Amino acid sequence: MKFWLNKIKSAWAALSPNCREAVRAQSELLDHPLPLINRIGLRIHLLFCVWCRRYGKQLHLLHDQACKHEETLTVATPQKLSSEARERIKRKMQENK
Amino acid sequence: MEADSEARQEKPISPALSDPERWVEDHGDYLFKFALLRLRDQGKAEDAVQATFLAALRGGTSFAGKSAEKSWLVGILKNKIFDYYRKASRETTFTDLQFYDEEEQERFVSNGIGQGGWIHELGPREWQRAGESLDQEQFWHAYRNCTGKLPEKVATVFNLREVDGLTGKEVCELLNITESNLWVMLHRARMALRQCLEANWFANNR
Repeated sequence: MKFWLNKIKSAWAALSPNCREAVRAQSELLDHPLPLINRIGLRIHLLFCVWCRRYGKQLHLLHDQACKHEETLTVATPQKLSSEARERIKRKMQENK
Repeated sequence: MEADSEARQEKPISPALSDPERWVEDHGDYLFKFALLRLRDQGKAEDAVQATFLAALRGGTSFAGKSAEKSWLVGILKNKIFDYYRKASRETTFTDLQFYDEEEQERFVSNGIGQGGWIHELGPREWQRAGESLDQEQFWHAYRNCTGKLPEKVATVFNLREVDGLTGKEVCELLNITESNLWVMLHRARMALRQCLEANWFANNR
């Protein structure tokens, strides 16, 4: 009996996530599938919660675009190869020709 | 991500077209920036760049065009960086469950009615013209600054998954971390990043 009560409890919890859980679920969905019941619960929550919907949109936007901007991100790194390192590397390459 | 032989990813086209002497001038900065973003340490980044050029010397000498050359060198560098991660993961852990733990909790109502809901003032704001922002180079500078604020282990995990596009399984294998820890770290990194960008870019309504 207790076993079934617990099952029902966790099913109910999965079907009615709070924002904190919904936000975490949306992140995890980017990485791995979630059980159907959790996905249903999330959908229901998103129907009613503007903030979590926004969060999900923003999360997806950043996630989708990051890998398309690898080059821009690299170039945006302010530091440069120091001239000392540059010379050192050239010397090494000469030695190894 | 193929982790196989470093320099044999594409066949050289003709020996006369490229000049290793020039590589450092043409590609040194880019490779260094690439390495620094991932290794977060100037010395390590310089070593990785050097190892890349030396491996490239052994592997082949020419490509038609600078951008094919650059891609090939970046490919070698990626493998060097992955080798570094594999080795480092045997010596230290890449798991960091401290980062953003409290901040994450503090954004939500902690008890009573509405427990677990967003605290009103701290909820996500609407991002005006978000799509346009992501087309601007300046936005990616802001993004770079925000990811720079992530602590090293979290940043490593985040970059491999989000920027390099490795699957969760690949990241776990490379860094020797569990999937559940990976998901926690990614969740918190994404939350911190979103928050940082909202405060530093979208709040100015650019």
